[in-house]
Amino acid sequence: MPVVTALLDGLRRVFRAPVILLGATALTVGLTVPLGVLLHGELQTALGEGAVADAMADGVSLDWWQQFASQATGLERSFTTSVIGFAAVLGNLSALLDGGRQQPIIVAVVLAYLVLWTFLSGGMLDRYARDRPTRSAGFFSACGLYGSRLLRLTVVAGLAYALLFGVVHGWLFNDLYELLTRDLTAERQAFAVRAGLYVVFGLLLVGVSLVFDYARVRAVVEDRRSMIGALLAGWRFVRRRPGVCLRLYAANSLVLVAVMSGYAVVAPQTGSTGLSMWLVFLTGQAYLVARLASKLLFYTTEIAYFQSQLAHAGYVAAPAPVWPESPSAEAIARLG
Amino acid sequence: MNHSGGLIGIVGLAVCAGLVWSPTGLARQPPDDTVDTPQTLSGAADEARSPRNANYSIDVRLDPDSRVLTGRAVLTWRNIAAVSAPDLRFHLYYNAWRNSRSTWMRERELGRGPGLAARPEDDWGWIDVTAVRLLGDAGPQDLTDRMRFISPDDGNLDDRTVLAVPMPAPVAPGETVNIELEWRARVPRTFARTGAIGDFFFIAQWFPKLGVLEDTGWNCHQFHTVTEFFSDYGVYDVRITAPSGWVVGATGRGDPPRDNGDGTSTHRYVQEDVHDFAWTSSPDFLDLTEQFEVTGLPSVRMRLLLQPEHAGQAARHFAATRATLQYYGQWFGPYPYAQITIVDPAWQSGAGGMEYPTLFTAGARWLAPPDIDQPESVTIHEAGHQFWYGVVGNNEFEHAWLDEGLNTFSTARTLEASFAPHHVARRYFGGFVPFVFRDIDWSRATDGNRLAGYRVAARMDAQATPTFEYWPGTATAISYDKTALWLHTLERYLGWEPVRETLAVFYDRWQFRHPGPEDFFAVANEVTGRDLTWYFDQVHGGTETFDYAVQQVTSRPLRDRGFTDRDPETTFEDPLDDRGLTRTTVTVRREGDGVFPVDVLVVFDDGEMVREHWDGRARWRVYTYEREARAARVHVDPDRVLLLDVDATNNSWAAAPRARAAATKWTLRWMVWLQDLMLTYAFLV
Repeated sequence: MPVVTALLDGLRRVFRAPVILLGATALTVGLTVPLGVLLHGELQTALGEGAVADAMADGVSLDWWQQFASQATGLERSFTTSVIGFAAVLGNLSALLDGGRQQPIIVAVVLAYLVLWTFLSGGMLDRYARDRPTRSAGFFSACGLYGSRLLRLTVVAGLAYALLFGVVHGWLFNDLYELLTRDLTAERQAFAVRAGLYVVFGLLLVGVSLVFDYARVRAVVEDRRSMIGALLAGWRFVRRRPGVCLRLYAANSLVLVAVMSGYAVVAPQTGSTGLSMWLVFLTGQAYLVARLASKLLFYTTEIAYFQSQLAHAGYVAAPAPVWPESPSAEAIARLG
Repeated sequence: MNHSGGLIGIVGLAVCAGLVWSPTGLARQPPDDTVDTPQTLSGAADEARSPRNANYSIDVRLDPDSRVLTGRAVLTWRNIAAVSAPDLRFHLYYNAWRNSRSTWMRERELGRGPGLAARPEDDWGWIDVTAVRLLGDAGPQDLTDRMRFISPDDGNLDDRTVLAVPMPAPVAPGETVNIELEWRARVPRTFARTGAIGDFFFIAQWFPKLGVLEDTGWNCHQFHTVTEFFSDYGVYDVRITAPSGWVVGATGRGDPPRDNGDGTSTHRYVQEDVHDFAWTSSPDFLDLTEQFEVTGLPSVRMRLLLQPEHAGQAARHFAATRATLQYYGQWFGPYPYAQITIVDPAWQSGAGGMEYPTLFTAGARWLAPPDIDQPESVTIHEAGHQFWYGVVGNNEFEHAWLDEGLNTFSTARTLEASFAPHHVARRYFGGFVPFVFRDIDWSRATDGNRLAGYRVAARMDAQATPTFEYWPGTATAISYDKTALWLHTLERYLGWEPVRETLAVFYDRWQFRHPGPEDFFAVANEVTGRDLTWYFDQVHGGTETFDYAVQQVTSRPLRDRGFTDRDPETTFEDPLDDRGLTRTTVTVRREGDGVFPVDVLVVFDDGEMVREHWDGRARWRVYTYEREARAARVHVDPDRVLLLDVDATNNSWAAAPRARAAATKWTLRWMVWLQDLMLTYAFLV
């Protein structure tokens, strides 16, 4: 299957299941709301009752922000100028690649998100693999069926990423970078070195991500119970078809970059209150929906490609999930 | 470079040659009460602007492979103090990085941790004086064996940054001595603005430099991590031998290099009326020049030694230097030298942002969007030091705020006048990639004066404490930020013209001399016609912070009731007043210990405004108004005169505060950020 075909097939599968996209968006928004409420209270108190609040409502007061930052603790410390416009995207990407540290409460929320996502990804992969509506019962049944397996796989993936971020990253960006740039006298050379290390680290991340992606796909599509087996199967699949797998991954990455670039163009900076702040928020949400779609596109294209390589395209090993009746319904049925 | 000195120049050169190369012909000079003008060491024939009592003739050779400097100097020093000098005291700054036991390294660890001490062997530097001779009629007298290290500030016996050389006989007031010094020094990988990386050498504080003899004795401090330098004015004639083909830039005017035929060339630089000499050398520099020409100010040759990767930023460096020479020149007084050299340091050299007479290091980034303040800000600041530090030569060991603070204030004002608006930027991806926040303008009042830095360190030290005794972690905030803020506060309080005139008179009166804080305060009181002691006592003498706040505002219907004395008897009135008025009560409070007069502005909902003036002394004050309108807004210090106020958020009150709306707006942005963060890490699952 050519990459373009897989890409188009993947796109079709994403858009034929809009509820998954909406659900993923709801999950993403929903997890931020409680912390948003907390932060809102802190900000409202810190903004006081006077002119500074006006300045922050109509635009931005860097002076206030610096004062707030100097006294901030916990959640408040995550409120930096990096929340403005496209800086959010750059800052987060930079934090990922540079091994930036986040506040513990933010780490906790991100971890919760990853766990929930992993649990739900069983239903997502199942839905995309079947390429037909499974309804909520089928979706959550698949989540229940595959959730614990994928969580086990994620633990293994976590170990691999811990090795990458905890050991390899430090070696690349502290030891090797220091070694390669210590005596450089031109910043552009150092930047080139760093960019090169980003590429190296990125390729390692992609390699690991690719294997675990196909491991997830095989775990669901082939109803594998052993996640070690799924991981090895994912590895074998990628090893035997490295060219297409990498090209497909690159194509998906290009879609992601296109989404980010689009947001870079339209992302508003400070703005005002009232309608404009909601427009800014909605613009951000539109970007995030597009980004979620591009995330799901990785799943769907990889499923489409994997299935195209099977003897029976569209084949799903697992039986159709059957959602049990409620105990009450069963009791009534027995009465009859 | 003026090569047409004519007869005077030739005579000068001849005398110079005699001074430098014929030590046996020199004699101790008799005491002399007058401030004489020593022979100019080059073709320049200009009149002495400074006492010129510490004159150096130096030959130095750089071996770039071993990073070793080999130097020989003849110091001609005249005692202009009222006391005799039983010894001479020299700064040996490079010994601060001789080992981790030096006072500099210990203080550095105190303020910023032990990181520097872990550097590899190749990074460290040192300076060893190998010979000291007193030159006189009877021939040179070797004083080498008399040398000893002293540590007048902290008694650290391991510190070797001050060398004392006892004299055979005390040097009497007015007497001149000639001292020959020989030394070797290893150029460090930069610890503090001087050092080398690759083929880039920035050589500052590199020779044995005499301290300043004051009427109370030697002022020759050890090298401290938070302080800079202090020395007397003189004439420097320096011959630098470096590899042929390398560009050399230095304090003063340079001759064309002389090829030595051995792969090296010697560059001669001469400058009168300066108190230090620094130089740089690298084969990579782009060597550019432009002329500063502004009506009413002397012409200045601007030389820019630029890193090739910053070739596109040459115009920005020249524009910033030009703006400095113009605005400082017009506001305070003209730049007195014929040339200025801007050095764009190599990346990672650690040499950026430092001032030396007629030469300074700027600091540019490879990715530098046109609407951020780098390299302009650092260029203006260091060029500005030519005025505050170079021409007005205060003691940076003890009163660094005098040059750093005045200059930070002046930098911000110049930047605002010449380059606004700038925007705030943040760098990502290892600090390489800038993102410009085009909705956040750079502000002179808060960003230029660095309020954020001061706010968190406001109580750490009194400015009057000798700078070398400041807490190492926050010295910058007290020297730079606090001074800029209190000067700008003064500007807003008195107006720009009195402050400008204060600085101009201070510049004129104390140029080529060593003023102290009291000299500045005296000029300020004299020029403004006010006794500002109450202000200087607080901002300089103490650690008080300023914080005025609106404590409480109420607007309620007037409902007074009770007995009133009316003829023919006392009656109970309910209400006492039936005009339907509202009583507005405004309580303002002085939260900080600092006292400053402030205005209080009350805006009523019918648009009427009442401005009160409060002397700010009491802890609180109440203003009461009875009128039909209710209070809509209250603002203490509405014009934000008091920039030292560490909490501007509590300065105002509004009947309809918008904090909730603002918090909602920013929370929504933060939520988008957090969602994006979650999705970024969702890459992993």
